[in-house]
Amino acid sequence: MTGWVLGLLLASYAPQQAGSALLDPPREARVQALGKQLRCPMCQGLSIADSNSSAARAQMDKVRELVAAGRTDQEIRDYFTSRYGEWALLDPPASGMNLVVWGLPLLLLVGGALAIARAMRRPAVAPPTQAPATENERPPSDDPYLEAVRAELRR
Amino acid sequence: MSRRGLWIGLALTAVAGVFLFVLAKGFGRDPHEVPFQLRGKPAPDFTLTRLDTGAPVRLSDLKGKPIVLNFWASWCGPCKMEHPVVAMAARRFGQEVQFFGVVFEDTEENARAFAGTPDPSFPQLMDERSRMAVDYGVTGVPETYFIDAQGILRDKVAYPIDPRTMAEKLAALKQPAGPLSEVVR
Repeated sequence: MTGWVLGLLLASYAPQQAGSALLDPPREARVQALGKQLRCPMCQGLSIADSNSSAARAQMDKVRELVAAGRTDQEIRDYFTSRYGEWALLDPPASGMNLVVWGLPLLLLVGGALAIARAMRRPAVAPPTQAPATENERPPSDDPYLEAVRAELRR
Repeated sequence: MSRRGLWIGLALTAVAGVFLFVLAKGFGRDPHEVPFQLRGKPAPDFTLTRLDTGAPVRLSDLKGKPIVLNFWASWCGPCKMEHPVVAMAARRFGQEVQFFGVVFEDTEENARAFAGTPDPSFPQLMDERSRMAVDYGVTGVPETYFIDAQGILRDKVAYPIDPRTMAEKLAALKQPAGPLSEVVR
């Protein structure tokens, strides 16, 4: 415990800086919405709008700068994907290899629905016409021990 | 085999095929690989100030000589390990290649304490609010970028660089643009 506290006290951290000045409410809403779509490069599964890391703050500054410069949402997304790859998008587009991820569950769902529909259309299974064979009707077995047990049971 | 069994078998084979394809695609990649989208593209221009003199340094004024940009921070442990490697390369190859350190998300005071005595072969630049780092697609520190004499981004190393890798990347910088090392770790 002491070592853990000492480690925390002695560790180095990135000095935190405040984000750039907010824009007017409609444009700032766009900045936040775009920030929610972009992945923080230093965090696990967090958007840059939700992360407190310094790298996320720097990227939010860039989004704000691009919105202020009049860039469209698509142009801003393109700016980040041209530098960080599609990985930068928390919701990757349904194209290329991503189609497998998007399409396979849908394909399985449709396949399952078809299988269920087909099973439901099939007529109910007819009741067995013959009663199960009784002990006496069973064919004789080659196994002498089994025959001895049967003879004992028939007694 | 019944017709129904045949269909089920075909469907299962198709699903297994897609699954294997996805796995092969994933396992075929180097797990250390970091996407480097700017490879082969012009390095984004920047104007940063030198930590030692405060003089501005503009990328577009530096064309004609290859450039190595090393992003670091005083709070980054691996950067401490890497710094002497880059400084040594700067002293050894400084005549042919220009080396710059870029301070990432840090204060000038901390950066000065980390960099020590100013080294003219390895000047340090302050990247205020990491604007330039975002332009380069930096995901963390340390990262080292290699720009050729024509201002084209040729390679990137996203881990503490060792002397051997540094020598290989510098040798590749002298070669004409073409297929460079495909693995960016």
